[in-house]
Formats: sequence, structure tokens, C-alpha cells
Amino acid sequence: MTDDVMRFFAAWMLTHEAADEGLKAAVLRGEQGGAEGMTGGPDAFVDGLAAMVAEEKENLKRDLEARARGEEVSIEKQSDPALEDVRFEVAELRGRMDNIEALLESLVRKLGQ
Amino acid sequence: MASRESVIVRVVLKRLVAALPAAGFGLAPATRRRAAWARALRRAFEELGPAFIKLGQLISVRPDEFSDEFVAEMRSMQDAVPALPAEAIRRVIAAEFGAAPEELFASFDNEPLASASIAQVHRATLAMPYRPVWGDTLPAGADVVVKVVRPGAAESIRGDIVVARRLLTRIGATRVGRRVDPVALLDEFGTTVERELDLRTEGRYADRFLYDFRDDPKVVAPRIVWSRSTAKVLTMEFMRGWRLTDIEAAKAAGVDTFALAVHGATAFMRQVFVYGRYHADLHPANLFVTPDNTIAYLDFGIVGYLTPEERMNITQVMAALVYRDPDRALTYSAKLGVDVPADRIEPVRAGLGELLDGTTRADGTRDFAHFGLGFLKLLGEHGIKIPSGYGLLIKSLATVEGVARALYPEIDIVKTAQPFTTRILGRAMGDPARLNERMPLAVRAALRELVA
Ligand SMILES: Nc1ncnc2c1ncn2[C@@H]1O[C@H](COP(=O)(O)OP(=O)(O)OP(=O)(O)O)[C@@H](O)[C@H]1O
Repeated sequence: MTDDVMRFFAAWMLTHEAADEGLKAAVLRGEQGGAEGMTGGPDAFVDGLAAMVAEEKENLKRDLEARARGEEVSIEKQSDPALEDVRFEVAELRGRMDNIEALLESLVRKLGQ
Repeated sequence: MASRESVIVRVVLKRLVAALPAAGFGLAPATRRRAAWARALRRAFEELGPAFIKLGQLISVRPDEFSDEFVAEMRSMQDAVPALPAEAIRRVIAAEFGAAPEELFASFDNEPLASASIAQVHRATLAMPYRPVWGDTLPAGADVVVKVVRPGAAESIRGDIVVARRLLTRIGATRVGRRVDPVALLDEFGTTVERELDLRTEGRYADRFLYDFRDDPKVVAPRIVWSRSTAKVLTMEFMRGWRLTDIEAAKAAGVDTFALAVHGATAFMRQVFVYGRYHADLHPANLFVTPDNTIAYLDFGIVGYLTPEERMNITQVMAALVYRDPDRALTYSAKLGVDVPADRIEPVRAGLGELLDGTTRADGTRDFAHFGLGFLKLLGEHGIKIPSGYGLLIKSLATVEGVARALYPEIDIVKTAQPFTTRILGRAMGDPARLNERMPLAVRAALRELVA
């Protein structure tokens, strides 16, 4: 859930796109503040966050349009992080096996000497 | 053993006595006195070999525990130990694998590439292709480096720790640090070194690092060749490039050091805030910039870990730095284990306020080291103990700032952290528990707006 929170806000922002002038102003301020966003204090932080959500909203919009055209959308193309982790764990295990195999070969060589 | 003990005592005493004039026979001002003793100890450590050199390196990353003079001196410690003849290294390889280097590699360079207190590094080429844990297969003939633990290093270090421990227990609590228990520190040191003596730990971390940065082509680390590695031998991809100590050569070759400084600092923030695992032994010799404009991280001997909760609290301390909010810094430092006694809160908050006010440089960028190291010092002056992880992180951030600023003097390290910290704070807002707690307030505020 927490990972999707940006998407959640973005969706909200998208559906309220036309409505909120105050929010638009905040996004603008946040964008102008750039990476500096947090500097000015809690308000500037919220502006910065609003700008980030707005960015996410643009992604969401693109995704929705793409889906309407029947294309795969970026969030669905993103590989599942849990699956990626498993892939890494397996690769790591393979590394350990290589290591053990080398150890066994060394042992055999040493015994033969 | 008894003889090693007397060697240690003799070397330390000899150096301390030699430092007496510089220390004004104990009558010079405190900082000068401390500097003189620190220099004497640094020389003694260099003379005493690997265990002490490593101990010095450990001290150099603990500004929370030791005086500035001591830390600075230990940082300048020479780790360029005279190289061992290739024969000695070849014997270690033969003992580990039951085969000569030539049987294991297509070629092996007898000329060492580098020689440090624990390990010596030689170049070689692979005889067979190797598919690493992460990344493309290394082809036969690929350039690799073979890092080999110096023969006897493990034994002499373990032996020295036993001796030093006995000596310290006997002398009792000498005040080497601000408030350290020297025996406890030595035990902590023992575990750290023990980990470094098994090179496979380092190799595993390099694999993990490559995986963590799989989506960032600009940040690389050597791929490990597990079929040619043991506890004492680590074979890995040879990284071509310039150490940050040779940055002028890199610039001359057209490397975009400005862009790399920003990217390198961002990569570090990602380690801290996203993964909670970070390279805690960064210094300019462990970072390469490569001809194709990437940053290579080397030598994962020391790694720092942070839980998600710690990351959240660190984020809040960063926010405190930005807002110049001493109360916030104190609140979240307390959650990180910095325990300020009630009667100390006022002076510490005042000191913190001063630090925060002095954190912005003339050019508008923020000086993290000024704040971070100043904060550790402030706590030290008030006799407040700093959890070792917190000290290590602050020191690492200060180092990253120093390294990045050497490349790009206008960089603001706090700014590079901002996208990460904003995300963490943003996420915390969506935390169900927090939503439960805050939602009623937010709804009430919203309703108030609506009816207004
Ligand atoms: N993969 C690599 N490619 C190129 N050079 C390397 C590689 N690994 C190590 N080196 C060189 O060897 C030096 C020493 O390596 P490393 O830092 O890993 O050894 P160490 O014994 O852990 O050193 P320290 O005592 O500084 O921790 C590095 O500074 C670098 O110049």
C-alpha cells in the first residue's frame, strides 16, 4: 500500500485536475523550487511534494492514454520487485555453488598431491 | 607473546617520549598537546603493523568517539605497506587452491598493483569465461584483479588483539577516547577485522551492490569470480579508471567530473535511504571514475546498515537541518538512540541552534560536515554517548560531501538527499497507522474549509 501512495495522490490529483487552483499554485511553486523544495520550511516541503505528485500524475495520464490505445503501460511493464529479488537470490546461490565447487576441486587437487 | 607485549609497550612509549617536547612536556595548550600525542600514536601504530594500522583506520571513521586531532592523524595513516615478494603471495594462492596461479589463470602478474595492511592486489587474466552473480559474463582473457590476504596477517592481527586487550585491561580505563571503554572498542574492532579477513563477505556485498544498482548504468562495482575465490583470495573484475586521488588526470582525459560528483552523491543517498546498506569505507582511493563516465565503487570492507525506522528518523534529522529546527533534530536523534539527559537538553539545543545557523555557506550551499561533525562533537562535549551506527553514517555523509566537493565545489549534499527524503516522508504520510491518527484532523480541517 505505502508504495502506491504516490499513485494514489496522483490519481486524486488527476481527477481533480481542473478544480483546484490552490493546488496548481503549489505545484508551480514546488517545480520552481526544484530540488531546493524542502528548504523553505514545511510549506515549501508540501509544495515540493505536490510537484512530485504532479509528475507522477503525468505518468499516470500517459499510462491511461496508452491503455486506451491498447498498449502495455509502464507500471505493468515494471518487473515485480519480489520476483527480481528471487532472481538475485538464485543467482547468489549459484555464486555460492561455484565457490563450493572450486573448494572441492582444490581439495581433490590437494589430496592428489 | 610476552615479547610481543613488550615490543608494543616499548614502541608506544618510545613514540610518546619523542613527542614530549612537541607537547610542551604536558604544559602546552590542550589542542597542541592532543595533536602531539596523536601524531606519536599514529607513528607507533604504523610501526606496529597490520592490526594497529587497521585499528587506526577504524578510529579514523569514529569522530564520535575520538578527539578531532586523533581522528585527523589516524586518517593520514599510511596504509602503503611495503609489498611482499610475489613468491609469498603465490604460496597463499597455491595453499588455497592446491594449484599454481598459472594453472588457475591464463596469466598472473607478479608485479603487485597495490599493497595494503591486510591484502595485496595482483592483476591476472581469466582462463575460462565466468558468469558472475549479476551482470554480463566475463569472457576468457578478461582482466581481473586477485586480492590476497597477506600470509600471517590473520594470525598476527588476532594475536595482537589478544595482547592489546590484556594490556588495556591491565592499564585500566585510560582516557584514549572521549568516553570510550577501550576494551569494548577493541572487541568491536575484533569483530570488524574478523569480517574483513574473510574476503568472501566483501565479495557478497559487491554482488548485492551490483544488483541494487542494476538500473543505473553510471554506477558500477567489480563482478566477482567465485570460481577463483576463497576466504583468503578474492578474484574480481579489473576496473579501469582513475582513483579520485588522480582526478586531474581524469579531467584531462575528458571525464565529466561535475556530473559524476552529483551522480555519485545521489548514488550514495540511494544506498542510505532506499536500501539501508551503504559503503562505509569511502575514501578517494576506493572510488574510481572510468573513461566511459561511470563511477566504480571498490573495496566493500566496511558496510553500514540501517533499518527502515532508522532511515525514517535520519530523514527527519535531515529535514531538521533544512528547516534549521533544533527540536526536530533532537527528537529524532533521540529515536536513533542519542539519549540526552534532561538537565542537558537546554545547552544541547542551544548549541544545536548555533550549529544549524552556521550551516549555510556564503554561496548558499549547505555544509553538512559542519553540522554533522559539529553535532557529534557537541554531544561529546556534554558526555552523551552516540550509537556507533549513527556516528558511522554521519561520518560517511561528511566524507561523501568532501569527495563530491573536491570534484564539484558548488555541490549541496543535502539537496542530493532531498528527492529521497521527500519520498520517505511522503510515504510515511500514507502509512495506515499515521493516516488513522491524522485523518480525522485532516478531514475536520477540510470540512472547515468547505463550510467557510
Ligand atoms: N577491482 C579492481 N580494479 C582495479 N583496481 C583495484 C581493484 N581492486 C583493488 N584495486 C586497487 O587496489 C587498491 C587496494 O585495494 P583494496 O582497497 O580493495 O584493498 P584493501 O586491502 O582493502 O585496502 P584498504 O586497506 O585501503 O581497505 C585499490 O585502492 C585499487 O587501487
